[in-house]
Parts: sequence; C-alpha cells; structure tokens
Amino acid sequence: MRAYEKNKHLILGAVGIFIFLCIWYAATKLTSLGKVMPDPVTVFGGFFKAFIEPIGTKTMTVHILISLRRMLIPYVFGGFFGVLVGVLMGWYKVADAIFMPYIQMLRPIPPIAWIPLSIIWFGFDEGSKYFLIFLACFFTIALTTYNGVHSVDETLVRASKMLGANDRQLFLTIVLPTTVPYIFSGLQVALGSAWATIVAAEMIRSSEGVGWLIVRGQDVGNMTQIMIGIVAIALTGLLITTLMRVLESKLCAWTVRGK
Amino acid sequence: MKKKQGVRMDKYLLISVLSVCVGIFVWWLVTDGLGLFRSNVLPSPVKVCQTFLKKWVETKPDGATLLQHLVASLKVALGGYLIGALVGIPLGIFMAWNDKIDMLVRPVFDLVRTIPGVAWTSVMVTLVGIGYMSKALVIFISAMVAMVINSYSGIKQTKTVHLWVGQTFGASNWDLLTKVAIPSALPMIFTGLDVALGSAWTTLVAAELLASTRGLGFMIQQARGIFRLDIVIVGMVVIAITGAILSSIIRKIGDKVVKGGRLR
Repeated sequence: MRAYEKNKHLILGAVGIFIFLCIWYAATKLTSLGKVMPDPVTVFGGFFKAFIEPIGTKTMTVHILISLRRMLIPYVFGGFFGVLVGVLMGWYKVADAIFMPYIQMLRPIPPIAWIPLSIIWFGFDEGSKYFLIFLACFFTIALTTYNGVHSVDETLVRASKMLGANDRQLFLTIVLPTTVPYIFSGLQVALGSAWATIVAAEMIRSSEGVGWLIVRGQDVGNMTQIMIGIVAIALTGLLITTLMRVLESKLCAWTVRGK
Repeated sequence: MKKKQGVRMDKYLLISVLSVCVGIFVWWLVTDGLGLFRSNVLPSPVKVCQTFLKKWVETKPDGATLLQHLVASLKVALGGYLIGALVGIPLGIFMAWNDKIDMLVRPVFDLVRTIPGVAWTSVMVTLVGIGYMSKALVIFISAMVAMVINSYSGIKQTKTVHLWVGQTFGASNWDLLTKVAIPSALPMIFTGLDVALGSAWTTLVAAELLASTRGLGFMIQQARGIFRLDIVIVGMVVIAITGAILSSIIRKIGDKVVKGGRLR
C-alpha cells in the first residue's frame, strides 16, 4: 500500500511536470509568446549543451561551481560565527544584552540592500560577495540558534544541576541536543537566502557564475540564455537544499523536524 | 514571558543602551573623531543623520526626494504583493484541498519556487521592458510563491479529527473547507502574508538595483556610483524601517483577525 501510494505520487508528479512542459511548448508554438520566449526543448537542450559548449568563456559546470564556491565559503563562516554568537547570547544574559540590539537593528536590512555598500568596501571581486553571503547567513543562524538555546527545558537544566552536572556536561548533554534542530533549520533557511543573494550579487556585478548567465542574456537580448540560467539556478538550488535536508536527517536522526 | 523580563531586565537594558552608545561612539571616533575613514568609505553618524534630514526635501543627486523614492518603491511592492496574495492564497488552499491537483501541481511548483525572485527580473525586463510592470511582475511571483507555500501547509495541518467530526455531522465538502480547514489555516496564512511581504520587499530592492529609474534601491545604487555613502546608508535604514513597519502592520491585522490562533 505504501509503495503504491509513493508510486502514485511519482506518476502524477511526472504527469504534472509533463503537462506543464506541454503547455509551455504549446504557448510558444501557437501564440505570439513564441517570439520572445524559447520553447522548453530549446531551453533544456541548451542547458545540457552548455555543459560541453562554453557560454561566455566557461562551461555550465564551471559557472555553477564558481557560484557554489562563492556561496559556500562565507556560508561556512557565517554558520560558524552565527552558531557561536547565538549560543553565547542564549546562554549569557550579558552577551544577549550587548549583541541583541545590533542584531535587531541590522537584521531588517535585506542582504541585497548591502550590495552597494559592500562593493565600495570590498571592491567588485570576491570580497564583496563573501561579505554579503556572510551577512545573509549570520543573522538568521544566530537568531535561530538563540531561540534554540532558549527553548531548552528549564526543568531539565535544574534537574541536571541538582544532580551535580557541571557547565560543560550541561551544555553538551542538554543544551546542544535541544539546539541542534534549531541550528539546522537556521542553516536550511540561510542556505536558501544565501543562494538568492549570490544570484542577485552576480547579476549586479560579475563576469561569471549563474547570475551572470542571466544578466548577460538580458544584455544581449538572448532569452534562451536567460532561461538556461534560470534552469541552472533552480536545479542547483534544489540540489543543495535537498542535500542539506539529507544531511540533517542523517546527523540529527533523533529529532527529524516535520515528518 | 515579556512581562517577566521587563521587571528584571533593567540591568540588562542598561547594558544594551550602553552597548549601542559605545557602538555609535566608536563609529563617530573612527570617522569624525580621529578621521581614520573618509566619508567616501565610511561616513560619520552625524553626516548620515544630516543627510537623512536633508534628503526629504533635496532632489540631488538622483532626481527625487526620499519621500518620492519611498512612494515609488511602496507602489510597486504593494501592487505586486496584493495581487500575489490574491492569487497565491486561493491557489495554495486549492492545491492542499484537492489531492489529485496537489500531486499534479506540487512538483512543478517545487521546481518553480527554488528560483529566487531576483532571477525573474531579467525575464520580465526582456518581456515587458524596464518599468512598473516588470518590477511588479517579479514581486508578484516572489510574493505568490511564499503565499502558496504557507496557505498550503496551513490547510494540510488541519486536524483530521476535526474533519471527521464535521463529516459525522453531515458537513459537505464545501462546509469542511470554509468552516473547518480555512479557519484553522488562518494563522499560517497570516504567517504567509508576513513572509511574502518580506520577500516582496527584498525582491523589490534587488529589482530596483538592477533595473529602475526611481525607488529606494535605485537611490542607493546611484549614490554608490558617486561614492555618496551617507545616502547609501540612509537608503538602507529607510528600507529596513519600512520593511519592519509593514511587517508589524500585517502582524497587527493578523492578531485582530485570527481568533484563538497562535501567531508567532
């Protein structure tokens, strides 16, 4: 029964995607939309061809890898410092009082709005992109970690203190296991926004990467290249978020959120 | 929880205030005080405040006052957002309520939603040109996606027991939807409205940075070009404050409308 249900999902899902592609195809072939919009065959054909034939000076693999590297390096740093500051703020009231106002003030600024400032501070190169992604990840992860530390059951803390646990034991056996799912949900959200931010940053200034693909297509009026870029962004985004989810279910199997 | 903190947080409130004061003082010290950074790298807080006040009446250097930019941005953002909500909420509800449609549409939707809103800018600019329409369409897409996700999961979280009770008392499918599922999904729908607003506002800034002739994003991009960092910072602050105000309005409405629900 379960297998059947699962297959039903897959079959209907495939049919859904197929219908979507058919509508897209029909719309470009039968209406005037075809003049500006390439049909799906061209787009996906072009997407796969781009792995062999370079767009600009680089193949699709290189474009995707460049964007991923730009995103992942500051993501790791942002994650590390976010968790660190989040735990500090959650655990020490003083740290909370010192850092919280800044986080509350800076967090409402969308990461994308930092782009002009980051270009002036760090130039057009990788530096400004690293800075942006770091910001995009840091606040989200710090706050979710903070919430995680706060969600620790007071009773458990008091009980373990009464039984003579020292600070390290308290942290490792009670606070950390409660916090990790929160950290992961922060990491998950931050991954999505980091990916969106890197695309935006590349669209504003860069000479390679998936965001560049789109904006270059726009500059030369090549709609096919724009759509190829969008396909690349969607598939890569899907891939990394799925990987993250798998990682989460492997690493904290004791408390898988959702299902 | 808040009340309890209010009473015994006084000491920490003082630390917070001190912390901000020290931050601003250091900012002043490295700019005006010691002159370590010039104003085209980091303008002093005094300069930023002056610019903030002056920009309300001055059109230099980008051709519009702060208010005009703000209104231009709001028009686009709210236009796209409202239509996005009007389309997204029913779509999400419909997808969640009808199993077949759900299974058909969900994978397509899951693919589309991984595309960041910004990426649509190029498509829309190529399709309809730079202007109100292209930006509104981009915002429409990003707001709609967030709305669909949240109203969808709101409906999906309806307690099966409640539906059973409804069925036992002879409710029709329509009754179940309008009297059980939608009311219980309302908190999630309002979360969606909040999230969608955030993503609409972010996407707007991105769209304005890329392709625009007016608006806050345009303002900071122009100011960047001529190294007027004070205007850039003013722009960022206005973007942040406007976003926060809009989101708190949505939350207020949510608190009024949702009865018995828990809104975070």
